[in-house]
Amino acid sequence: MLRRARPLLGTFVEVAVSAKTREMEWQAAIAAFEAVAQVHRLMSFHEPDSDVTRINRCAHTRPVEVDARTYAVLGRARLLSRESSGVFDCSVGDRLMALGVLPRVAGLRADRAATWRDVTLLPGNQVRFRRRLTLDLGGIAKGFAVDQAIETLAQRGATAACVNAGGDLRVFGDCDWPIALRRPDAPGEFVSLPPLRNRALATTADTFAPHGAIVHPASGQPLRSPRSVSVLAPTCMDADALTKVVWLEEHLPVSLLEKMDAHAIVLGPAPALSESAAAHCAAG
Amino acid sequence: MRDIDRALLLLVAPPALVLTALPARSVEYLSTEQAQRALFADASRFEPVPITLSEADRAALAKVSGTRTPLPLDRIWRAMRDDQLLGHLIVDEVYGKHEFITYAAAIDANGAVLGIEIMDYRETHGGQVREAGWREQFRGKRSGDALELDEDIVNISGATMSCKHVTEGVRRLLALYDIALKGR
Repeated sequence: MLRRARPLLGTFVEVAVSAKTREMEWQAAIAAFEAVAQVHRLMSFHEPDSDVTRINRCAHTRPVEVDARTYAVLGRARLLSRESSGVFDCSVGDRLMALGVLPRVAGLRADRAATWRDVTLLPGNQVRFRRRLTLDLGGIAKGFAVDQAIETLAQRGATAACVNAGGDLRVFGDCDWPIALRRPDAPGEFVSLPPLRNRALATTADTFAPHGAIVHPASGQPLRSPRSVSVLAPTCMDADALTKVVWLEEHLPVSLLEKMDAHAIVLGPAPALSESAAAHCAAG
Repeated sequence: MRDIDRALLLLVAPPALVLTALPARSVEYLSTEQAQRALFADASRFEPVPITLSEADRAALAKVSGTRTPLPLDRIWRAMRDDQLLGHLIVDEVYGKHEFITYAAAIDANGAVLGIEIMDYRETHGGQVREAGWREQFRGKRSGDALELDEDIVNISGATMSCKHVTEGVRRLLALYDIALKGR
């Protein structure tokens, strides 16, 4: 098995791959890193030429064509927004900029009333905003990048693989992968989980984000918590996005998780899901 | 309650954890030779480049970056294919509040970053470092070894560690390149 790690997506992306030959492992890992780098170039919030930057600048004036991958992520984000009744919402980019979670990008403005419903997906991979808004795919693109890397590795003949982008991971192959969760209260310590097979796991926590990183679309304020929220799902894109829904929801979104074939794991002071989340909502 | 059981695997207060708590994390990815190959696959040889810096050079580099680790003056190579210079490879170390990272940076013949590979990653969290047990799983293993998956290195999910210290380190290496490596 070959293990490599590169700084990408603002974090460390680790690729572990097994294949018939060492050469295949090297070539598969190179292609996987390239797949992740491409997602970064397409969906980065601050790269001047990314699809996200282009639609944030122009999609309120005219339809903007984007890459098929960006279009696919926008489609999935839309479905998750609808299924979560708007708790998952990628149109909070302006509020993340105001809070300093995202870097300031000059020239972007947003209508405060805009939501995910104002993002229209047109035929031909075209995107149009009904209201001016600032889209940020930070809550879903990292998971998608992991999925793209896993698919690339599978296409390149990997027999087993794990891609881990700063804690959002997916495993592939007929084997069990040992998995652990970082403790939100003691980030240098870890909690073992049952091994993972052909599944994705993503985690959201405030541990390294001093001002909070997850904004509630209704209040526009970050919802802080000492918890960590992890979600197991078939794809890392779903797992990544669903951690935000579980984080923000006052009650565990059981039917949504079931619909997505997902499970949630919450580490932290109990009772974490209703009382503390509600108190934070009221404070925000 | 039954609804919750179906979707929630566990909801636990850490003091009451019955699961195994594992101490700090460390992974060795690539040796120097593997990093050379990963970043300059076409190179036929790597020549060490000895450099010395004046006090003024060092002061200029300190201004460029807050990186405080010693400059990697003895870990710089020229990547050559026959007589053609492909670029330079530098092995550097950076540390943040929680992590200590050895990485290799490839700079092409025009002074642009070709790629970065993490060679060794160690997390330290203040007084919580209890590496002995954790490191057992890496003992004697290099990244090229075949590993039994059920005894393999544990994959961690959790809050994202930023790579900003590596970014700062690379900024210092580019300044070092301008001062001491350009055209060599």
